[in-house]
Amino acid sequence: MATRDVTPSPAQPAWVIPALSTLGVLAALFAGLHLFGRAEGGFALSRAIGWAVPLLVAAAVGAFVPTQGGLKTRLPIAVMAALAVLMITALWVSDSAEIPDELPKEPKTLLSWLIGLPIAGAIAILFLPRQAPRVLQWTTLGTMLATLAASTALLRIPMGREFHFNQDFVWLESLGIRYHVALDGLSLWLVLLTTLTVPIATYASFGSIQSRMKDWCFSLLLLEGAMIGAFVSLDLFLFYVFWELMLVPMYVMIGIWGGTNRIKAAIKFFLYTMFGSVLMLGAILYLAYTYSKLTGSMSFDYFDLQRVLVPRNVQIWLFAAFTLSFVIKVPMFPVHTWLPDAHTEAPTAGSVILAAVMLKLGTYGYMRFCLGLFPESSGEFAANLAGVAVLGGIVYGALCAWKQDDVKRLVAYSSVAHLGYVMLGVFAATQSSMEGAVLQMINHGISTGALFLLVGVIYDRRHTRMLDQFGGLAKVMPVYAALFVVATLASVGLPLTNGFAGEFMVITGTAVSSRLGHFAGIQAVGAAIGVILGALYMLGVVQKMFFGPITKDENRHLDDMTRREVLALTPFVILIFVIGLFPNLLLNPMAGAVTRIRTDFEARIQSSPGPRYYTGPIKMLPRRPEAPAAPVPAPAKNAEVGGGS
Amino acid sequence: MIETLFPANDFSLIGIILALPLLGAFVNGIWGRRLGKEAVKLMALAAIGASFVCAIIAFLALDKMVSREHGYQRLTWTAYEWMHTVGGRGAGNVAIDAKFSIDALNAVMMLIVTGVGFLIHLYASSYMGKDKAYWRFFTYLNLFIFSMLVLILGDNLPVLFVGWEGVGLCSYLLIGFWYEGLPNAAAGKKAFIANRIGDFGLICGMFLLVHYTGALDWTGIKNGADILASNPSDYYQIHVWPIGGGTYTGALAFLQPKSPITITAATAIGLALFLGCAGKSAQIPLYVWLPDAMAGPTPVSALIHAATMVTAGIYLVCRLSFVFVLSPFVMTTIVVTGAATAILAATIALVQNDIKKVLAYSTVSQLGFMFVGVGVGAFTAGFFHVFTHAFFKACLFLGAGSVIHAMHGRIHDDVKSQDMRFMGGLKKYMPFTYWTFLTATLAIAGAPLFSGFFSKDEILFKAFVSKSVNPFAEQLSSKAGATVWAPPAWFGQAVFVVMVIAATMTAFYMFRCFFLTFHGNFRGWEVGRASAFRSLPADEEVDHDGDHHHEEEDLTVPGPPPHESPWQMTVPLIVLAAFSFAAGFLNPAPLTHTLPMEHWLQPVFEGTFKIGGGAGPILTRADAQKLEWPLAFGGIAAFAIGTGIAYWMYMMKDGAPARELAAKAPKLHQLLLDKWRIDELYEKTILAAVDALADTMAQVDRYIIDGVLARGSSLLVAALGHILRAFQNGVVHVYALAMVVGLAAFAWHFTTPHPDATMTEASGDYTLEAGPGMGYSFRWDADGDGKADSDFGTQTTVKVHVDPGKSQAVTLEVKNAFGRVGAKRFNLARPEKAKVLDVGTGMMGGQ
Repeated sequence: MATRDVTPSPAQPAWVIPALSTLGVLAALFAGLHLFGRAEGGFALSRAIGWAVPLLVAAAVGAFVPTQGGLKTRLPIAVMAALAVLMITALWVSDSAEIPDELPKEPKTLLSWLIGLPIAGAIAILFLPRQAPRVLQWTTLGTMLATLAASTALLRIPMGREFHFNQDFVWLESLGIRYHVALDGLSLWLVLLTTLTVPIATYASFGSIQSRMKDWCFSLLLLEGAMIGAFVSLDLFLFYVFWELMLVPMYVMIGIWGGTNRIKAAIKFFLYTMFGSVLMLGAILYLAYTYSKLTGSMSFDYFDLQRVLVPRNVQIWLFAAFTLSFVIKVPMFPVHTWLPDAHTEAPTAGSVILAAVMLKLGTYGYMRFCLGLFPESSGEFAANLAGVAVLGGIVYGALCAWKQDDVKRLVAYSSVAHLGYVMLGVFAATQSSMEGAVLQMINHGISTGALFLLVGVIYDRRHTRMLDQFGGLAKVMPVYAALFVVATLASVGLPLTNGFAGEFMVITGTAVSSRLGHFAGIQAVGAAIGVILGALYMLGVVQKMFFGPITKDENRHLDDMTRREVLALTPFVILIFVIGLFPNLLLNPMAGAVTRIRTDFEARIQSSPGPRYYTGPIKMLPRRPEAPAAPVPAPAKNAEVGGGS
Repeated sequence: MIETLFPANDFSLIGIILALPLLGAFVNGIWGRRLGKEAVKLMALAAIGASFVCAIIAFLALDKMVSREHGYQRLTWTAYEWMHTVGGRGAGNVAIDAKFSIDALNAVMMLIVTGVGFLIHLYASSYMGKDKAYWRFFTYLNLFIFSMLVLILGDNLPVLFVGWEGVGLCSYLLIGFWYEGLPNAAAGKKAFIANRIGDFGLICGMFLLVHYTGALDWTGIKNGADILASNPSDYYQIHVWPIGGGTYTGALAFLQPKSPITITAATAIGLALFLGCAGKSAQIPLYVWLPDAMAGPTPVSALIHAATMVTAGIYLVCRLSFVFVLSPFVMTTIVVTGAATAILAATIALVQNDIKKVLAYSTVSQLGFMFVGVGVGAFTAGFFHVFTHAFFKACLFLGAGSVIHAMHGRIHDDVKSQDMRFMGGLKKYMPFTYWTFLTATLAIAGAPLFSGFFSKDEILFKAFVSKSVNPFAEQLSSKAGATVWAPPAWFGQAVFVVMVIAATMTAFYMFRCFFLTFHGNFRGWEVGRASAFRSLPADEEVDHDGDHHHEEEDLTVPGPPPHESPWQMTVPLIVLAAFSFAAGFLNPAPLTHTLPMEHWLQPVFEGTFKIGGGAGPILTRADAQKLEWPLAFGGIAAFAIGTGIAYWMYMMKDGAPARELAAKAPKLHQLLLDKWRIDELYEKTILAAVDALADTMAQVDRYIIDGVLARGSSLLVAALGHILRAFQNGVVHVYALAMVVGLAAFAWHFTTPHPDATMTEASGDYTLEAGPGMGYSFRWDADGDGKADSDFGTQTTVKVHVDPGKSQAVTLEVKNAFGRVGAKRFNLARPEKAKVLDVGTGMMGGQ
């Protein structure tokens, strides 16, 4: 062809045309959306165009974003960009949207599929040959992507205040243990975060993990199943089973594929978490036993145990056991020191999953179980615990992070600070602060997950994470530097990245909280100080890693991001901006659940006599309206009884 | 036609104004590296240019609306609901929309940002022409324009905050644009963190506003603002100390004052917001970042650090004027801060040798002037100074850039090429730069009829005649008996004097800078005959990295004369110089009473001056009209004296008096050169404190939390294991010994009687039932006389009646089969009135 010999001259005027045509397309898009948006009821064709054009444009833009790389790079990015637009349009809540008369039917077994698929995949891995890493990898990734695809079906049901996808059948009849899973707006996003993050971490890990692929894949799949299970269990025994099941694969992952001090870190991680969870188990058993004393039969069901009203002197101990367990997992000061060690030693994928999902089980657990089962104690200690979250989390975590010279350790401490915001929001217990806290859980998963992936990138190249080993990397790795800065800004909470909306809602929500008494204002100020400190330590990292002259010869010829690394990070980067621009996409589905949790919490505190505390004998409360009907222990063991919710 | 396309309440043209620079940033940011310089330039300039055209259309639409309907008019556009939060007790959900609006105030700002922005883009397209990272520069610059537009067009505080942080980010990226130099990157970081300290204040202001007024958008805040100062109830007070107004009885109770320290909500909000303004607009104590920010390319200094971003603080004070005026304390704080900053920065600027540093401190000083203006309630005057300053300061910076560009011809060192000691006599070589620089210098120095004269004069006048008071003072002191703070009577006069001195210094240092740069002899290098240097090698791309050192030229060898800049750079200079002269006639206050600017902005501030009914929050002296001309001579004198001294020192005596002065007071001179060593002070105090705190925390974390607590408890467990292991040693007689000890302990337990009883109570009748035991016999002392009622027997229960409010001691003695006796005493206390425990049912059914 004649046009073949267009050599890229320094000015490359040939690029002007694509640039201008992009402009033209965008202008057409704007005009088109304007017109189609205004057209009342419009033609089916015009609606279809209005729906498809943004997807195609996003895909086209996405495909052209990478500076180099063939179809294998461009196509996945194009798909991801289109999916992001699809997510925005599908979740968009417009004022005129009518609630359809017929809600889509809830597939009752969906949650079991979500738990079962990865676990079944893990079992399947056991039967695959160790010598075929490709097969193992693709099976693992395929299973995870199937789970991800299945989990998007959760979004089709408007969440509201209720629980959905309720599946409840008797597991161990004599002990009253049931298999009870259900999902509300709170669990929804955490489950989706899990199903999204785990495949990304897995895919990224296939670059750096080369040994014992079979064990690795098995651990990852088991971990995913257990984490999803923990987020949706409403039977406390089942919750505990998943909670402990999670520990094992993570323990193995740190212990086998970790850094030099991996064994010590793994044991520390296990012991800390175990210590809390055993106490929690004791509290669960006590509650179940109390329930059986009152009603004659054991039950571990969340809605049953919620009815048990115990006096203050008992409740604070039960509350303490649960809280300690969750607080260790979060982690909060002073039981946080397992986290930097675990993060530093864990392989990249392990760190990503640990930060993005596992820590959220602590915050989720507090919100679901401590607020739900022990509202009086939660209310009584909220102000004190919020003080710990501000001083020990936001301020202390940030100051410690500032003084770390290992990047991964630094990011780990920044997690302590970020989760301080989450816990503060939960303790403050206002609508805004709790929604902000849930949003911040997701945000932290995304931005810290991205940061850990990015730290892994440089670790794979240099086998060190010490800040003084870097400097001037922006020159040799521009794409890496740009992505790192984006993740940093998200972590710092710059507006229009995801971090801001959550932080802002938590801070404003805290300021108006009546739960924190006199200290609401000062705690909000303390949380706002975290904004300064966040910039202090994160920008320090950016400066030391990327700016200034290149001081080390080893850094002079580093490769920029590989295709695998870019593809693993793309969804995070897209989500950073999507959530930053449209936080309501996430806030709307969760609002109902948060309202329910908050109003139940408030109502029970208000109804308790005396100093807002129950002092009488142990007694039962009526069953909650949202609670799905309990199953009748039927002769046929696996009979499913759908809960009408 | 515009009205039909874009109705006033859905003015989506704002979307286009905003989207174009963002699109430019996006396209250049993603594809810029491959697009080539021409395309990048086209994209960037087209985006800003088109945005400017749209801004003009929007301005005309607003103007038409104002002239048709009068009063306060605005064009609004809601993109979508961004997020939401909750208001203070009872206010419920507060939606935060991505909403934008244009009114008289920000329409002017919008024109400045896009118009001056376009000129500076044009200038930069040549100035940065040799830089490799051309595309990156224009990406950031376009992104900056977008952020700045979001800042000024946002209709609520969170959206403003998006722009507020966005411009901070762009500033950070542009200061550190040549990031291979570590000082540049450090300056960028310093700017970002100083701004973040301000942002902290803004966040505090936001949560306080949402708490007290239940709104974050301008209209909502305006509607709810009055109560911040007018309500004396405890709810509208902030308890500074003790925190939250609680009372403590603990060990720290001595820290608690007799009467709690409280401030009104209006004061707290005003101070918090002003901290944000001080950060962004480089006021004491957060001004230190701005001079360092000159490490960025010069067009950046002109656009961001002179004309637009740094005036955001003044914009915010104008925007929320109805909140600030509620607290005279805040207004006074603003004035004091502004005046102190103005004079401090002016003293530093007197002796600086770096041309950009002089301009930087001059900017800080001028921002102080603006804050004095808005702080005395002269919002129009303060804002008018923003307007004129945007032109003359941008012109000065661009002129300086033009000079530096010329100096770069042979002096490649960045510091040296900006040093005025190497300049001089440039008038001959750079006529356009010379004349435009002169115009702008006259403007900033306050030469009569130039724009700076009118705006500065108005500020000085208003500072003298205005007084800020609490608009609800009468109400508060009559109803609640509260003492209301007001600034002292001499305050206005004092501010006037300080500001006149600062203005004198301004005239001096600006003309010093001007004479040193353009007059006298050229001190840069030996200038050869121009014709000898015609055929220069093509300039290679400048790559500001560390490992690409220019060889330092021998400046004694004759070189080509400094060259005038190309048209892309001179045209913006000329346009800006024209505005620097003429912009003042929009508000020529002492000359005539036809004041277009004042008239245009009047509806914006109308409500502010009427707060509280009565005289309003800003009082003006009765003789103000008469004072207008006399006071104007203060400004004229400042110009004449400052310029005269500079002319005498640097033109007539060629700088000799300055050198003598410096030699006479070398320490003071050095102190001024070192900028009063404020940076060092901060480093030694606040930064060192935070650093030490962080160090301590990190050590505590490592050695105490992880070391003592975690390792300690694990050691405890290990030690316990060691001890117990000692017993499990497999030696049979150790086991036997343990068994014997155990048996003895059991035997002791079983031969000891354990008296215990369960107590039940029914309306004062207490029944005690002793617990059974093998071979036990019981003896009671139910009447509490200390003597047993009977001998040991089988009586296991005893009944006692206790009247309300009385108490009774009952003793139970138990004898077992071995004849040993144990006793336990029970105290039966009946409360005065039985407490009814009303445990409601259905307490969890709350919907």
